[in-house]
Amino acid sequence: MENEVLDAELVLPNYLSFKRVQMYDKYPKGQSRGRHWKHLKQIIQAENYQNYPPDEPNYVNIESPPSMHPCKRICDITGYEAPYYDPKTNLRYANTDVFKTIRSLPNDYVQRYLSMRNAAVVLK
Amino acid sequence: MPFISKIERQSDYNRFSSSTPIVIDNGASYFRIGWAGEAEPRVVFRNIVQRPRHKATGETVTIVGDHDPALLKYFDCTRSGPRSAFDSDVVFQFEIMEYILDFAFDRLGATGSEINHPVLITECVCNPVQSRSKMAELLFETYGVPSIAFGVDASFSYKYNQQRRVCDKDGLAMCPGFATTHVIPFVDGEPIYKGSCRTNIGGFHVTDYLKQLLSLKYPYHLARFTWEKVEDLKMEHCYVAQDYVSEARLFQKGAKEAEEKTKMWQLPWVPPPVEEPPSEEEIARKAAIREKQGQRLREMAEAKRSSKINELENELRGLEFLLNQLGHVQESDVPSFLAETGYVSRQEVESARNKNVQSLRKAKGEQKSEQDEIEKTDPNEKYTLINVPDDMLTTEQLLEKRKQLSIKSMSDGRQRLKQKRQEEEQERGRKQQLEEERRLANPELYVEQLRASYNDLSEKLNQRKRLKTNGSSSTNGNGLAGSVGRGERLNAAQRERMRLLTTAAFDRGKGEDTFGAKDEDWQLYKLMSKDNDDDDEEPDEDSIELARISSRLQELDPTFVPKVETGSSQPAEVPRVRPLTKEDFQIVFGIERFRCPEILFSPNWIGVDQVGLDEMAGVSMRRLSCNNERLEERMTKSILVTGGSSLFPGIVERLEAGIRMIRPCGSPIKIIRALDPVMDAWRGASAYASTPGFHTQTFTRMDYYEKGEDWLRNYQLKYSL
Repeated sequence: MENEVLDAELVLPNYLSFKRVQMYDKYPKGQSRGRHWKHLKQIIQAENYQNYPPDEPNYVNIESPPSMHPCKRICDITGYEAPYYDPKTNLRYANTDVFKTIRSLPNDYVQRYLSMRNAAVVLK
Repeated sequence: MPFISKIERQSDYNRFSSSTPIVIDNGASYFRIGWAGEAEPRVVFRNIVQRPRHKATGETVTIVGDHDPALLKYFDCTRSGPRSAFDSDVVFQFEIMEYILDFAFDRLGATGSEINHPVLITECVCNPVQSRSKMAELLFETYGVPSIAFGVDASFSYKYNQQRRVCDKDGLAMCPGFATTHVIPFVDGEPIYKGSCRTNIGGFHVTDYLKQLLSLKYPYHLARFTWEKVEDLKMEHCYVAQDYVSEARLFQKGAKEAEEKTKMWQLPWVPPPVEEPPSEEEIARKAAIREKQGQRLREMAEAKRSSKINELENELRGLEFLLNQLGHVQESDVPSFLAETGYVSRQEVESARNKNVQSLRKAKGEQKSEQDEIEKTDPNEKYTLINVPDDMLTTEQLLEKRKQLSIKSMSDGRQRLKQKRQEEEQERGRKQQLEEERRLANPELYVEQLRASYNDLSEKLNQRKRLKTNGSSSTNGNGLAGSVGRGERLNAAQRERMRLLTTAAFDRGKGEDTFGAKDEDWQLYKLMSKDNDDDDEEPDEDSIELARISSRLQELDPTFVPKVETGSSQPAEVPRVRPLTKEDFQIVFGIERFRCPEILFSPNWIGVDQVGLDEMAGVSMRRLSCNNERLEERMTKSILVTGGSSLFPGIVERLEAGIRMIRPCGSPIKIIRALDPVMDAWRGASAYASTPGFHTQTFTRMDYYEKGEDWLRNYQLKYSL
C-alpha cells in the first residue's frame, strides 16, 4: 500500500480488538459473499402487520395518503406550467417552442423524461 | 459544503468510564458518533461503504465513508460503487452496517476486547422489528455492548429545541430527511407515533432529480455531474419558491428578477488556439511549391507522350517496311513469308498499319474528325461494291460488300440522329423565343405562371416519392431511410409483394395445383423479386421539366429559392461543426433552483403518489383526532422543521403559507426552523443519554433474549425524563 493511503488510514483494518467476532470469521472468504439480506419490501411482508390492531402505528400504516389537492402539472422539459400534453410522447409541455423540442427529441430522451415522473413505458 | 466529515481518530477513549453512553445518530446520509453529554459528535462521516480493489496488490479492501478523492486513485472503483446499508430509511444490509460500526468505533478510539459502554442509537419511526432486532443482535453479539436504547432522530431534535424554548411541549416536528420525510405530533412533550406520517421523499430525491434534469439538459457534460457535485450544487443554489407557479412565470417571461436569480456554473474551458492567417511570404512559398510540382507533372506527361509517339512511329516504320517487302513477294509465298511476323494475310498487316496510324494521330493530338470528313466527302468511292449485284462478285468481294453495307447503315443512322438533334434544337429555340416573347409581353404574369407550374411539378414529384417511400420523411423525422419504423407503412409496391408472398405461402392444398399451366404464372416471380420495388431511377420528363423551370426561375427571379430535396434517399446534410465557445461550458441553473426542492411539496412530480410536506401537517393532525381545538391551536403554534432538507431557504415561509391554507381561518400558526437542523438530533440524543434516568430506558442482552420479539416491537423510549 502507498504511504499516503496508510497515513490517511483509508482502509478499514481486518482485525479490530474490540470485536468479539471478526469480519473474516463471520463472513469467511470464498463463500458466497452475496448473502441475501431481505429488502425492505420483504421485511415488511415478513412483519405480518395485518395481524396487529390497525390503530397501532407501524411502518406501513404511518405512510402518508395520496394528496387531495389537484396536482400541479408542469412542463417536463422547462418546468413551466404545462397546459398541454402531447399524446404521441405523453410529455407535458408549456408552449409551441417546447412542443417543437419534444417532437425532435429522440425516443430514449423522451423515455428518460417520462421515467423521472415514473410514467415511462416499461417493457416486460 | 455545509456537511463536513470528521474522521480523525480520537485518543481519549479510555478516559470515559464504562457507564458513559456512546451516542450514535445513524442517519441515512450521515453517521455521527460521540459521547453522551458532549455538545458535538466526535466522528462524522457519510454512511456509505465502498469495496474497491487495490490496483497494486489486487486485494479487495473496505473503505468506509467519504475520503479525499485524490487518494482513491490507487483503487479500482469501477466494479463497485458506494453502497448504503439503508433501504429507504430502514437498515437492511447488516454486513455494510457492521463495516460502518467497525470504522466508527475504531475512529472513536476504541480499544480493549469489547465496547463496554451503553449505546443509544437512532432509528426511523416505527422501524420494523426485524431491522431493530438485527441491529440489537449485532451490537450485543459482535461488539459486546452491555445495553442499548433506540430512539427517533426527529424526536430528539424536537426535545433538544424544546429544552431551549424554541418550541413548546405540544407541537409538530416536521423532518424532511434524506430518504423520507416524517411529521410527528408531540403532546405533553411526548411523540405520538399514531399521528405521525411518512412520505417517501427526501434530499436524496431532490439531488437525484437535479442530477437527471442537468444530465438531460447538458448531455455532453454528463461526466461532470457526479453525485457529490450535484449534492453541492443543490446545497448552494436550491431554494423553495413561495409560489411555484408565479415564480415559474417570472422565468417564462424572462423577467429581470428571474435573470438575477439565474445562476451559472462555468466549467473549465480553454479557448482553442486561433489560427493566424498565413503571411504573404507563406502564400508565395506555397504557390511556388505548387507551381514546381505542376511543372514536374507536366514534364512527366510530355516525356511519356513523346516516348509513346516514338514507339508508335517505330512500329509503323516496321509495318510499312513489311508491306513494301510484301509487294515484291509472290502472292503464293505470302503465308510462308508472314509466318515469322505473326500476321496471316496482307489485309491484316494493312489494318494493323491503319490502326497504328490512327493511334499515332491521337497521340499527337490531331483531330480524328478529319478522317470522318474524308469519309463524308466521297461516300460513293468508299462503298464501291454496294450497287454491284451479288452474282457478279467473288466470295471475298461478297464479304466486303456486306461489311460496306453495315458501315453505310451505321453512318446513315448517325447522320439521321444528328439531323434529329438539330431539329430538336431548332424546336427548343423556337419555344424559347416564344416564351421570351411572352415574358416580354407581361413579365410578372410570366414569372407567376412559371412559379405555379414549378410548384405543381414539385408537388407531383414529391407525391410520387412519398408513395415510393411512404411518408417516412413526413412523420416526425425519426424514420430512418430503409427501415420501416414506428407508425410507418410499407409502400404500395412492397405491400403488393408482401401480399403475393403470403398468398404463395398459404395457397397450398386448395384444389389441384395448376401453377405453371399458363405462361403468366411465371410472371409472379418477377413481381415477387426484390428488385421489383425500386423502379428504374431514370430522370423522368417531369423532373427534367422541373429542373428547366427552376433554372429559368433562378435566372429571372432573384427571390426564388429552389426547394431543397429532403427525401430520405438523399444523404442528410452534414451538420456544420461549430467551434465550441465559452457558453457551451456553462451550466445554467434557472428554474431548476426551485423546481427540484419543490418535489418535497409535490411528490407526484417524481411519481410518488403521496401528500407533500405542507399537507402532511394536516394529515398528522387528522390522524391524531384529538377533537380538541385548543390543543390543535397549541400544536400549530409550535411547528418545528428539522432534518437536512429543511435547510433550503424559503421553506419556512412556504410551509406557513401551505399550512395556513389547510387550517381554519384565523388559527395561529408559527413555524420555526430548528437551531441546527442537521446536528440537533445527535445533540438531543447526547443530552438525553446523559440524563440520570437514561439507564431505565435501555435494555440489556438478557432482557432481549428473555422478553422476546413482541416486547421489542412495542419497545418505545420515554422522551421526557
